[in-house]
Amino acid sequence: MLRYVIKRIFFLFPILLGMTVVVFLMLHLAPGDPIDLIVGPNVTPEIRENIRHQYGLDRPLPIQYLHFLGNLLKGDLGTSIIQHRPVAEIIIQRFPVTLELSVAGLLISFLVAIPIGVKAAIKRNTLTDYICMVTSLVGISMPTFWLGLMLLYIFAYKLRLFPVSGYGTWKHLFLPALTLGFTDAALTARMVRSSMLEVIRQDYIRTARSKGLSEKLVINRHALKNALIPIITLLGLRIGWIMGGSVVLEIVFTRPGLGRMMIEAILARDYPVVQGGMVVLTTAIILGNLFADLLYAIVDPRIKLR
Amino acid sequence: MRREGTVFSVCCVALVFVLIAFTVVLGGIKTTTVEAAEKKVLVHALNRDGDILDTIKAAWYSDALIYLHDRLVTRDYNFQYRPGLAEKWETSEDGLVWTFHLKKGVKFHNGKPFTAEDVKWTFDTIKDPKTASPFAGDLKAIKEIKVIDDYTVQFTLNYPFPNLLFNLSNTAAGIQPANCYEEYGEDYGHKVVVGTGPFMLKEWIKGDRVVLVRNPDYNWGPDWMSNQGPPLLDELVIRAIPEENSRIMELETGGVHVLRDVPPMFVERLKNNPEINLVQGSATKLGYLAYACDKRPFDNVLVRRAINHAIDRKRIVKYIFRGNAQVAYGYLPPALKDEYLEESEQLAYKYNPEKAKSLLAEAGYPNGFEATLSADNSTISKRLAEVIQAQLAEIGIKAKIQLYDSASYKAMLKEGKQELFIRLYSWPNADILDWFLLSSQFPYPNHSRWVDKTTDEMINAAATSPTWEERAEGYKKVQRYLIEQAVWCPIYIPNNIIAVRKEVKNFKYHPWMIQYNDGIDIASR
Repeated sequence: MLRYVIKRIFFLFPILLGMTVVVFLMLHLAPGDPIDLIVGPNVTPEIRENIRHQYGLDRPLPIQYLHFLGNLLKGDLGTSIIQHRPVAEIIIQRFPVTLELSVAGLLISFLVAIPIGVKAAIKRNTLTDYICMVTSLVGISMPTFWLGLMLLYIFAYKLRLFPVSGYGTWKHLFLPALTLGFTDAALTARMVRSSMLEVIRQDYIRTARSKGLSEKLVINRHALKNALIPIITLLGLRIGWIMGGSVVLEIVFTRPGLGRMMIEAILARDYPVVQGGMVVLTTAIILGNLFADLLYAIVDPRIKLR
Repeated sequence: MRREGTVFSVCCVALVFVLIAFTVVLGGIKTTTVEAAEKKVLVHALNRDGDILDTIKAAWYSDALIYLHDRLVTRDYNFQYRPGLAEKWETSEDGLVWTFHLKKGVKFHNGKPFTAEDVKWTFDTIKDPKTASPFAGDLKAIKEIKVIDDYTVQFTLNYPFPNLLFNLSNTAAGIQPANCYEEYGEDYGHKVVVGTGPFMLKEWIKGDRVVLVRNPDYNWGPDWMSNQGPPLLDELVIRAIPEENSRIMELETGGVHVLRDVPPMFVERLKNNPEINLVQGSATKLGYLAYACDKRPFDNVLVRRAINHAIDRKRIVKYIFRGNAQVAYGYLPPALKDEYLEESEQLAYKYNPEKAKSLLAEAGYPNGFEATLSADNSTISKRLAEVIQAQLAEIGIKAKIQLYDSASYKAMLKEGKQELFIRLYSWPNADILDWFLLSSQFPYPNHSRWVDKTTDEMINAAATSPTWEERAEGYKKVQRYLIEQAVWCPIYIPNNIIAVRKEVKNFKYHPWMIQYNDGIDIASR
């Protein structure tokens, strides 16, 4: 198990390396110069060059990249060109905002998806099943930002129950978390249903029933526990999606998280911030996957991680 | 029936618990910040947050900086220069030595008294090339700053430069306490900001809001304000809301009290809202169509004049801006009362497609020509580009629209790939013409690629006139010449549209900054 964890963490490095090369190249190939956005009217070329030198932007690209990598190995993400402070500090401030929404969204998603999926599976081919599955189809087909805008319009703008934008209280978190949770739940519910259906047909369920166990016990203890294994795999795969979704919702609901930080940094060509943000997001997604895999082994002792 | 219902209900209960947990945990935070219900809190919204709250290093100045700092010179409601931290000043006859007499009894937010040393430190730091301050270029006229005594400071200039008044009244010229960098280190501009202004920094949640609290000791407001004492508001919150629609919705639902730069398309909707007042005034902005003057066919003045005759500015103002803008005739906005050339309207090229066509024929393009028309990708610019394209088509110019994000747009203009292109400037001073049209600014920001000796001489003469009045006259001459040469095609001057909720009392329109300390009040919640 420990060997497996170490191996997985080790794999983080080639992935990060590839990602940084791509991000670095894309950023520098895009037209635009951060210096233009820093300096206002009437700046002498001398000052311009001064700033350029200060941030090492006057060096050739490969050197800049190696420098960035070297600093990254030392745990230094660099200094923001526009904000004049360490990128790590900026990210530490922004990351919890994104994490908070992702976790809340995931919780809502699972709390909605599991009961609906189970119910639909048990009531297979009844009206309940159809209603659940059609709702989830709608949920899957609906873009996150659109649902967000609609909830925003109805509950914040028309009914004034929640604030339109901002961050800080549970009221600010509720609508974005619900949006994220609902769209994610739609897919998870379908997975739970099909997984449940498969498990219910198994021999051991028939055995459990014939032992005279109550249906409640059969479903909760025997069926659900086994049906959840593929759902945990799904969790691993969904972490990236959830993070991406919360980034989009940060724009819709004006939350000062990583996503907005990245967009602002890209528009300002603040290279160190974009690179640092990508490194953190990639790492978070990879670690999230790893966590799901470990959970997998804990829930199902038959699985050996190598 | 009941059996499988258990899973369902257990999960429902769990969901409720999670929601309650959020309520309790986060609600706890809420009670501490918003609890003080008796406070008078005004929320002002902007489309972005500052990057650093330090006037010396910032490239973009958050509105918070207006209220955290005071400046030596202020501008009143009529846009005239008036005393600020400097009680009075005199200029030597040759215009080279300026002596400022400072107000006494002024204190910084950290309790330190304000003296001439702070003035010298602030401007010396800006001018130091090691600081790499974006504002340094504006102060190049200053040769030396001398402290005469605690309350007298003398500026010696390299050449006469009446516009020093403007530069000293600029947000960037906020006075900071001497040696604050050494004292506060990296926290300065992020966690700590020290000024003498009417509001003090309470907290800054980056990307979200800056919370300012009233400075209870403030009693040195400029004499043209009705209130020289501390602000009536307890807190001023400056929120960053990048999405246009969210800003408007926040305003309508009461989450934001004051919104500046309201897009014209929302004006009708807000006008019909009884909870909101719209305050409008002429902005110091100018929207124009420009062209690369060093490229064919734009190097021909007849072609440039033809383009000026082809644009129907009145229709643009009416349909794109729905009347919330003025037609632009000259190269400066009329709000710059002293420098604006009054006869611009008579001298300007009237809408006349027939005349435009004959001018084009005279220039050797009887069938028109093809060109690209570049613009940034904002809603207004897109619409503007489409209308201009249609109007140019009427005289035979086939324009192909190309849209860019703002960084790419700048990069493109710098490379000099532009032909026809749309721009909007926002600047409360005539020196904007130096910035865009001097040959020393070629190729960027002189993006109209106008390299012309006469213009250079005229602008330099105006900028270095010994007095403000002579400078204004000089700039009028420049404008007359630019109209004659049709260097740009000026189109519109957008209105400054500020939306103010009804709870806000005593709101006064100021052409550049909102003066929150001048008696603006709000009903406490």
